[in-house]
Amino acid sequence: MAHDDRRPNDPLDLEALPGQRRVLDEDEDGGVGEPRKPDTKGRGRDESDKLDQYLLRRYHLYGDRKAREQLITMYLPLVRSLARRYASRGEHFDDLVQVGAIGLIKAIDRFDLERGVELTTYATPNIVGEIKRYFRDKGWSVRVPRGLQELNIRLNKVIDELVPKLQRSPTIQELAEAASATPEEVLEALETSQAYNSVSLQASPNGEGGEEDAGLIDYLGSDEEAYDTMEDRTTLAPGFAKLDKRERYILHLRFFEGLTQSQIAERVGISQMHVSRLIRRSLEKLREEIGDVDNPDPSLLARRGE
Amino acid sequence: MSETIRVEVAAELSAFTPIRLVLGGLGTRLEFSVEQLEDLYLATEHLFRAVVRAEELARFGVEMRLDDGALWFSAGPFTSRALREEIEPAASEGDCLDLCRLLHTTCDEVQVAESDGAYRVVLVKGRRPPA
Repeated sequence: MAHDDRRPNDPLDLEALPGQRRVLDEDEDGGVGEPRKPDTKGRGRDESDKLDQYLLRRYHLYGDRKAREQLITMYLPLVRSLARRYASRGEHFDDLVQVGAIGLIKAIDRFDLERGVELTTYATPNIVGEIKRYFRDKGWSVRVPRGLQELNIRLNKVIDELVPKLQRSPTIQELAEAASATPEEVLEALETSQAYNSVSLQASPNGEGGEEDAGLIDYLGSDEEAYDTMEDRTTLAPGFAKLDKRERYILHLRFFEGLTQSQIAERVGISQMHVSRLIRRSLEKLREEIGDVDNPDPSLLARRGE
Repeated sequence: MSETIRVEVAAELSAFTPIRLVLGGLGTRLEFSVEQLEDLYLATEHLFRAVVRAEELARFGVEMRLDDGALWFSAGPFTSRALREEIEPAASEGDCLDLCRLLHTTCDEVQVAESDGAYRVVLVKGRRPPA
C-alpha cells in the first residue's frame, strides 16, 4: 500500500535529493554493460544510479507510488530509444512505446534491491522482451509459422529497398531473388500479412487533440496543407469520420487522386507496405461502420456528409 | 497464349481465400508488382463481398484467365439489380468511395457482360505497365 513516510531529515526524502527530476536522454539507450553518458543536467553515472536506487527503495520498501511514477518517467526515453529499433517492422512507433513501457513497469515492479544490478541493466531486456513478445504474439492474429513471419518481415525491408531503386513496386520474382526465396514462398509470406496487424493499438480514431494526435501529425510530415484541402472536398460521412487523419488522407490520395501506393508512400513518408496495410485497415473500418444499423446504405463505403 | 481457370465457389466470404491464392499465382506469371497484386486482391475481395451481400445464391462461378498480357477475372451469372447498380458507373455518386470507385481505381477495366438474361462482372488487370 502506498503511503508517505517522509519526515524531517529522512534519508529517503525525495525533496532532499538533488536531481530528482532527472530524465534520461533518448540516446542513453542503456545498452547492457555500456557506460552511461552524463545526463544533460550534468549528473554523472554514479549520481544517476544513486537516484535510481533511492527511488527504487522508496517504492519497494515504502510503497511510494510517486517514486515509481518518477522512475517510469525517467526511463521512458530509454523505452522510446529501444522501440525505435523495431519501428521499421510495420507497427506504429507509439504502439511499441506503449508495449515497451509495460516491460519497463514490470522491470521496476520486479526489481530486486538485493541483487546489486543497475535498473537499466535489468530493464533493457524486459523492455525489449515485451516488444518482441508483442510482435510474436499480438501482431499475428492467426498463428503463422515463424519462418513465414520472418520472411514477411524480410520482405518488408526488401520492398522498402527495391521501391526507390526500381522507381516502382517490385514484382514477386524480383522479391524472390532479393530475399533468396521462391516466388511461392514470397506469395505465401505476403499472404501472412493478412493475418498480421489485425489488432493495432493506434492513436485515437477521431484524430482530434491529445498528444497522440500531435505525434501522428508529426508523422505525416509536410503534408498538412494538402490534407486541409482534402478535408474541404472529400467524404466526411459516417464512415470516414471513424478514420484518423492519416487514414482519411491516404484513402483520399488513393481513391480520389488516383495515386499509387508507392506514390502515396513517398508523399506521406512511410513504406509502400505500410500504405497497403493502412488502406486495407481503413476499408475494414469503413465496412464495419457502414454495417452499422444507423446507416441505411451498405453499398457505400463512405459518402459526403449530409 | 490464353489460359483459363474456372471454379465454382460457395457464396460466402471464406471461399475467397482460395481465389486469392489462384490470383496470386496468375499475377506472378504476368510479373505483376506487389502493388498490382494488392489492387487485384482488393478489387476481387470487395466484389466478392458485394456478391455475397446482394445475391441470394448458394454458389456462383468464377473464371480467371490470362490473355493478352492481362488477367481477366469474371464472376457470375448474377441477376441482382442492386449488385449491378453498385458496379456500373451511372450508379456511382460523385464523391463517394463506393464499390464502383474502388473497382475502377484498382482495375484497368470493369465490365458488366450480359449473359442469357443474367450478367457477369468482369475485371481486367495488367494491361498497363507497372506504375
